[in-house]
Amino acid sequence: MVWVETKLCGLLSRAMLADSSGDASSLWASVPLAAKVLAAVGLLIVVAAVVLGKIPFRYNVRNLFVRWKTTLSTGVVFVLVIALLTATQAFVNGMYRLTEASAREGNVMILSEGSTDEVFSNFGFSDINDIANQPGVLRDALNAPLCSKETYLIVVQPRRNPKPDGPQRRFIQLRGVEDPAISGVVHGMDLHDGGAWFSSVGVERRDVDGSGKKDDVIQAVIGEGLASELGRDRTEAERKAAKNQDRLAVGDVFELRDRRWLVVGVMKSAGTTFDSEVWAKQSLVGPMFGKVGFSTLVLRTQNDAAAEKLKEFFNTDYKKAAVTAYVEREYFDKLNQTNQQFSYAIGFIAFWIAIAGIAGTMNTMFAAISQRTKDIGVLRIVGFARWQILLSFLIESLFIALVGGAIGVAIGSLVDGSTMTSVVSSGQGGGKSVVIVLSVNAAIVAQGLLLALFMGGFGGLIPAINAMRVRPLESLR
Amino acid sequence: MKLFLLIARNVRRSYVRSGLTVLGTMVLVFVMTLVWSILAFLGDAMAEKSSNFKAIVTERWQIPSQMPFAYADSLSQGAATKPDDVRPTDSMTWQFYGGTTEKGTRTRENTVFAFGMQPSKINTMMDDLDSLPAKEAAELQAVIDKLESNRQGLILGRDRLAALKKQVGDRITLYGINYKDIDLEFEIVGTVPAGRYDNNAFFNRDYLLAAIDQYNDKHTDPHPLTEKSLNLVWLRVPDAETLRKVTAQIDSSSDYTNPQVKCETQSSGISAFMEAYSGLIWAMKYVLSPVIFVTLALVIATAISIAVRERRTELAVMKVLGFRPWQLLLLVLGEATLLGLIGGGLSAAATYVVVNIVMGGLKFQIGFFAAFFIPAAAIGWGLALGGGAALLGSVMPAFAARSVKVAEVFSKVA
Repeated sequence: MVWVETKLCGLLSRAMLADSSGDASSLWASVPLAAKVLAAVGLLIVVAAVVLGKIPFRYNVRNLFVRWKTTLSTGVVFVLVIALLTATQAFVNGMYRLTEASAREGNVMILSEGSTDEVFSNFGFSDINDIANQPGVLRDALNAPLCSKETYLIVVQPRRNPKPDGPQRRFIQLRGVEDPAISGVVHGMDLHDGGAWFSSVGVERRDVDGSGKKDDVIQAVIGEGLASELGRDRTEAERKAAKNQDRLAVGDVFELRDRRWLVVGVMKSAGTTFDSEVWAKQSLVGPMFGKVGFSTLVLRTQNDAAAEKLKEFFNTDYKKAAVTAYVEREYFDKLNQTNQQFSYAIGFIAFWIAIAGIAGTMNTMFAAISQRTKDIGVLRIVGFARWQILLSFLIESLFIALVGGAIGVAIGSLVDGSTMTSVVSSGQGGGKSVVIVLSVNAAIVAQGLLLALFMGGFGGLIPAINAMRVRPLESLR
Repeated sequence: MKLFLLIARNVRRSYVRSGLTVLGTMVLVFVMTLVWSILAFLGDAMAEKSSNFKAIVTERWQIPSQMPFAYADSLSQGAATKPDDVRPTDSMTWQFYGGTTEKGTRTRENTVFAFGMQPSKINTMMDDLDSLPAKEAAELQAVIDKLESNRQGLILGRDRLAALKKQVGDRITLYGINYKDIDLEFEIVGTVPAGRYDNNAFFNRDYLLAAIDQYNDKHTDPHPLTEKSLNLVWLRVPDAETLRKVTAQIDSSSDYTNPQVKCETQSSGISAFMEAYSGLIWAMKYVLSPVIFVTLALVIATAISIAVRERRTELAVMKVLGFRPWQLLLLVLGEATLLGLIGGGLSAAATYVVVNIVMGGLKFQIGFFAAFFIPAAAIGWGLALGGGAALLGSVMPAFAARSVKVAEVFSKVA
């Protein structure tokens, strides 16, 4: 219960912060046009009802309570549909936020010509330094170009203590970097307290298991998502004895390719694609996995305008090496292909479930009207106009939808902040395995409520028209 | 029989309500059928088989797997060297070649990912293509024969052929993505039967090997992928014991040390790949499916409870006429179940026809699976789902009908 309260309070405060910081307009802008039109129509109906005349609201509300079982079952349909939509949209939104957060303003990503994914890119050594020294690339205090030289690999790790019926190995994204401090600056990546970037040799001798025997262990910096996943491989006893029970921490060791790897730092990488990565010395890991050259260069420039200019230079004028340059944001946008696919799938499922919801609402409202034909006759005789009857029944249906939708959004929003594994990819091979933080925002809340209103409005409209056409004398006969 | 006639008559009494209930059932069963078809396919792909195994041999430590082509022959024999060593019953090798039809410009439309392999293995080792109906098998064999006789032949999936805006008989040049500076000129000799390979392509591996040799002859440094051109070796083994022996032969062989290789069942390999989607699969199984099922039950429950409320007087009259409470209970349960069965069965059958025959599969990329098909068993799922949800949703209204009190109803009427 406390967890639920915390979640809802967190969401509420975020929404309020968004309003106070002026983000509300951008959130409104992110709501689809169809939803905005629907909202405007809904608002128009309510305004018309309030301004133009009397509607027997109290009668409608009382009826909802009299037929509480039917009202409840119809309302629960709204709750389920909207909760499902909210949770699934939070997943897609989390994917978009992940790719957005992974890109940094002013960064240019260089891959070998024609590559759309790091996994297929391969540079010769001679190409590298000239690219890094181009004008426009920022430099650090020691006048070294802010160029992160990287080799991206997907490697296989046999799982420790796997479940008998589960996968026996996992894929780990390994990024060999030449100078981790520079790569950290370029990607804006910091380490959790107590951590440090690996040394210039990237390896150290250490007695890791307390046996008195020292081994060469490879120093590695890992994303916190991966640290959690690897932490779950430990036995219960190991976890209890560990410094950090939730994830691997500095000083912990894991195995990869029959070697021991020492965690020297954990990156503050939550919500980025680096969350599932291991960073280690390129000159060690490249040859170890048969990829000697670099796959990726990331150059830091002043801002996006400078990055755009540098990208154009590499793609059109640069002749010393065959490269394809992307502004980093553009590269990560390409990885949204998977997100778009899931987005379409969710839209498709939501559409069909909404139709079922509409059918359910229609049934409820048709029954409500057939039971209350005499009531409608009386209302007409005492002076209520046809359009008032229509609005009265429409509002009844919209009321169930709004309450059900609001509860559905609230329940669906409980997934906010939880994590899930998935893949982001450009859809042309490659891709990255990532840990996604599910995220509910105002646009998702608005979409959920508007879908509920649409279902309620559409489901209630035809029965309400029927109610409007009831002839008073005939109904009372 | 009388009871059944009454049930049928009740269903026909309110066409609007019955129609809306069947519509609601149909759309929800439709969504469930799609979701379950994907889950069933993935579940089947990841489940260990009891016989006729396929094993995959790949590079041990990284993906994409890249091994020297020199491994191909011996791995195809399961690393058997001695007369009493166990050999696979069949095998195939895969060499991936990605290329674009426009140099330097890569789009989804102009990109082709092709499998370089022995043409004769296409219809003996490729999943689904090894079990085609006779007519389609004969058509595919004719295309394979063309690929055997024309080393520069290319067999394309239908969607890829359409995306490229080409026809069988056209010639295309693919500019290498992974094999940089190795461009291949192909003649499209045919298409693959519609299905899971709609976006793939197949070509004769000899053509790629010759192109690599040609590159190396013209350049001082060999092509970077010269010693990495073999991506996968597939082995077919009759049973788990043979697989265990073949795996042991490969693991103990000193021929595969740089790089090392691993041999695993197809399902184990697929499971590892699908691990990244485990959260999504979990959500489809344990969140999406139950929510749809409960929604379906509620839609039906609402309709049936309305029907029961409207017929309280009639139910009371039936009791007076001698109907037993259990008969009234059956009447309501039967009405709901009939609606559920009609809606569920119709929906699943229509989904089967539309997705498999009209659309040529459900195009939804999950991992390396690009299209999913509705299994024939889905018609059974539809009936079970519709009927089950209806039964569940009508339990409470049915008990309400069973316990209608005659005196109470008639006192109100009076």
